[in-house]
Parts: sequence; C-alpha cells; structure tokens
Amino acid sequence: MRQHLGRSINGPWVSVTGVLGRSTPGSSVDAVAPPSTEPPARTWTLLALAVLGIALIVMPAAFGMFARAPKGAVMLSEFRPFMTTSRLDGFQLDIKQINAGVQQSRHSVASYLGDSSTDSSGGGGSFKAEYPNFASFAGQWGAIDSHMTSLLDSVQDNLGNYQAVAALPSFRLFPWFFVVPGVLVLLLVATLVIRPRRRSTIRWVLVVIGLGLVLAPAVFQMFQRAPKGGQMMSAFKTIETTSNVETIQGYFGEMAVGQGAIRLELVPALERTGLTQSEINARFPAVATLDDRWVHILNDMTPMIGAMSDNVVNYQAIAALPPFPLFPYFFVLPGLLIAGVALAAPGQRRQHQVSSEPTGRVSPDGSQN
Amino acid sequence: MGYRLRARVLLGLVALGALATVALSPTVAGAAGSRAKELVGTFKLAAGSCTGTTPTGTYFRMIFPGGTIAAGKFFDNADSTCTDTSYTLASPGTAGGLINGKYQPDPTPAFSASGGALASSIVKPQNFTAINFGIATNPTDPQTGLAVPAPVIKDKNGKLSGQVEAWSADWNNLHFNQGSPKPDGTTPGLTLPVSGTYNAKTHAFVLTWASAVVGGPFNGFTGYWHLQGTFKPAKS
Repeated sequence: MRQHLGRSINGPWVSVTGVLGRSTPGSSVDAVAPPSTEPPARTWTLLALAVLGIALIVMPAAFGMFARAPKGAVMLSEFRPFMTTSRLDGFQLDIKQINAGVQQSRHSVASYLGDSSTDSSGGGGSFKAEYPNFASFAGQWGAIDSHMTSLLDSVQDNLGNYQAVAALPSFRLFPWFFVVPGVLVLLLVATLVIRPRRRSTIRWVLVVIGLGLVLAPAVFQMFQRAPKGGQMMSAFKTIETTSNVETIQGYFGEMAVGQGAIRLELVPALERTGLTQSEINARFPAVATLDDRWVHILNDMTPMIGAMSDNVVNYQAIAALPPFPLFPYFFVLPGLLIAGVALAAPGQRRQHQVSSEPTGRVSPDGSQN
Repeated sequence: MGYRLRARVLLGLVALGALATVALSPTVAGAAGSRAKELVGTFKLAAGSCTGTTPTGTYFRMIFPGGTIAAGKFFDNADSTCTDTSYTLASPGTAGGLINGKYQPDPTPAFSASGGALASSIVKPQNFTAINFGIATNPTDPQTGLAVPAPVIKDKNGKLSGQVEAWSADWNNLHFNQGSPKPDGTTPGLTLPVSGTYNAKTHAFVLTWASAVVGGPFNGFTGYWHLQGTFKPAKS
C-alpha cells in the first residue's frame, strides 16, 4: 500500500530525495509517505545517470587517451606535409628515377665502358671489379626498390583514409568529448538531488546531452571516417616500426653510396672515354637525370624519413587505443543510455498534479479525496 | 677592557686575517692548478687527412643504429676523399676552429637553396652525399629548441674535458644536435663525454666525443667527432 502510495504520488525523483532524507517542500503527501519505505527501484535512474557520468569521465583515462590522443594529433600534423597526391607522386618519381639511373648504369653504361657481359646485378665481372661500390649497390637495389615502392604504394593507397582521419576534430579534444558530458551529467544529477523541483528541466537537459552524444559521431562523420582511420592504422602497422625505419635508413645509406658511385666513378669514367657532359646526358639520359635530381631527391626524401622515424612512438600510442571503428559507438551508446534513462524517468506532470492540490488528503488506501 | 680598546683589537685581527689571506694566495693558486682550468682562446683545427694509415686532423664518422664506435657499421660518405669513405674530413673555418666559451652561430639563412649548410666559422662546409654540411653553436639549439651553454673545454694536467652541448651539424635543411652531453643534459645511446689531450708547451690538442642523433631522419645514428690541432690562447 505504501509503495503504491509513494509511486503514484511522488514518483522516482521524489523517492530518491526521500532516500537521501530530503522532503519535497510543498508536498502535502510527504507526511504520509515515509521516505524509508521508498522502493529501491526508484533510485535507479539517478544511480544509472551517475554511473554513466562517471563512466564518461573515467573512460578517457582508462584508455590512456589523455597521453595517447595528443600523440595522434602530432602524428597527423607531422604527416600532413607529405600526405598529398603531388608529394606522394613525387616520392614515386624519385624512386623511379633512381631505378632508371641504376638500370641504365648497370646495362648501357657498363656496356659502354667495355663490359659486354652484364648480368642481372651490377654489370659484368670486370665492371663489378672496377666499380665495386656501384656493383654492391646495384645488387641490393632490387630489394630496396621493391620495398620502397611497396611502402609508397601503401601510403598512397591510404591517402584518402589519412585525409578522412585528419578531417576529424583534433585528437587532442577527444578525451574532453567524453569528460565534459560526463561532468555535466554528474552536475545535473547532483542538482536533481539538491533541487528536485527542477527535475523536469534537468531531465530534458539530460536528454539533450544524450542526443548530443548520439549525434556527435554523425555530425563529425565518424561512422565513415573512423573505419578509414582503422584501415590507415592497419596499413601503417608494418610501416611505423623502429625496425622498418632503420631498414629505410639503411636504404638511404645504400642509395647515397650508389648515387655517389654513379656521380663520382661512372660519370668520370665516361668522361675519360672522351665523352663530353652533354654527350653523356644525351647518351645516358637516366643517369644524367639521376645526377641532376639527386639533391632534390635528398631534399624530398630525408624529411619523410624523419617524419616516419619521429612518429613511430606516436603511431604506437594511437594503436594502443581501442580500434578506430569503435569510437563512434563510444559516443552513441552512452548517449542513448543517458537519453533513455532520462526519458524513462517520470516527468513533472504527475508531481504537478499532486503539487497543485496542496490541501488534498490521502486516504489510507492511497486514493485522494 | 674598554669599548675603544676592544674595537682596536678587533680591527687588528681583521687586518691580520687580510694579510694572511694575501700571503697564502700563491698556495691557494697552486691548489687550483690541479683543478680543471678553462682554456681561453681558440682550438685551431688541423685539416683532416687520410694520407697515413689512420686519418689524422679533424674528421667525423657516423655510426648506424645498433653499431659501435669502434667497429661501426659506419655510414659511407661517397664524397669523402678517404679510401675508407666512412671518414668525412673537415677543414678549419673562418675562425680557424672552435672558440672556447663563445657561440659560433648559424648565419641567416642557415642553408642554401639546395639545402647546403652555410655555417663556416668552425669548419668549412663539406660535402656529405652531395650536400654541404656545416657546424655551428647557437644559444638555442635549433633541433631541440632548448637553451644551451656555449662550449667550454677545460684542461687538467693535460687531460681535456668539458661540454659541447651546442654543437650542431647542419645538412640538407636540417639541424642535428651533435653535442655531448645532449641539450637536456643526458647522454643517450653511444654518446660519449668530451675528452682529449692537451700539451701545454706545444698547445697541441686532440678532442673527441660521440653524440647520438635523437629524432629526425638519422634518429639512432651516432656521430663521432675527432678534432685535432693547436690551441691558440686569446690575447689578454
């Protein structure tokens, strides 16, 4: 009987205040509805909201987002200069020009310098013996070319994915996208406890916060962009490693030696045969192009290797976060729960009905007179 | 004892103390002589040379990640004039070398259009894989952005020590801190402190150190520096 009385007159919000030992001022029925008899089920809304609020606040810390998300922002920022179609095409061109210069050196130049027995590595036997630096490099070039081309292809394939992630709000803000709503929810719950008469307004504010969380991923196009971020992270898994960076640093050293051998050994050898520089350029255009563009290639590729190296730690920090495709749901689920709980809680109408009858009397069976 | 008398006695004691300090000063100076003493002047560099079995003079080597200073693996500079191209030789710059206790900063701009270093005070810009590299010491390390002291080398009985935190190698539009210790005071990886020898009579010196590259395209590499030449004391 008393449970029915409490439920029908006060509603859950009031019952909680009752549990907390506060009565609703102006309610004439409080005197006949002892707080201690309020059923536990009536506290669930506030408790659920408090738990959701705390969960939103705690989640970024639990996932290490405060430390990791800014590193993601740094990585995206440092990759930005390189993640353009023209820049990536430029890197591909750099590798193609090195390849063309190496192939022409190992075949045409070797042949011109009197070695007709060219093989698949660095020219024929005597050529190799006479130009060991080039021969050594030419022997390794196939693997370097294959690895670098594959790496650049992979990066280029993920250009759209990178751009999608980069179009999201700054990663630095992400932890706060959870903390701020969480704090708001907790403040509103506290307000409900202290000022229960504002429950109707607060309930709708909670619904708005919940809907805000639900809509945020849609507004930021996270449902499309986050999975693309996941694809990019997967593709970069084998690229952004210390081992891979050191391998590329090694390639860089080999390429520098190889180009040096072409520039400082093969070309002077061609000149010694009587060819002028313009004749060399005409007869061996790929060699001439490589020589001509080498400094540009260094200017181009060195900062890219630096960005790759500097962001290994940043990549690993982001990779340690939950998978990107899940992120939209980290907003949607708590949002739905907050809005749902707030909507499930009774509104003020019934309380108004009671409050509007301050002099009403309640019969022992719970009906009003 | 009257007030005036006490004051005179006190004054007398102070005067005696001052006299004793002056008299003992050569002894104090002698004790300080056994401490490391900053050399005031310029470490004039001798140009690197590969004519002998081992390179002499001023040179630089770069060690790959995972290597050792003694055995490498070393980065080969195709532009090296040595048979062993892992040695990059250097020649003295416009100041003749390293001025102790003073900065020798980058010019403005620090690089040519093709990325070659323009700093030429300590050493002449030198080709490193087709692009000039140079050395500078700036109050703010250009790679880390940290404030660093001017290099200070000290001598203690013919042994050199000190710090070159500000030592910065410029190459290809990039700055690589090559100081020891590093600008944050650490000695990561293969970084070795400044050490060397100094002959007070002939002023001949040898200075060496190693510095890990932290960050950038050569992250994990280590630069080994060998400076040799004659110290020229500053005119007092």
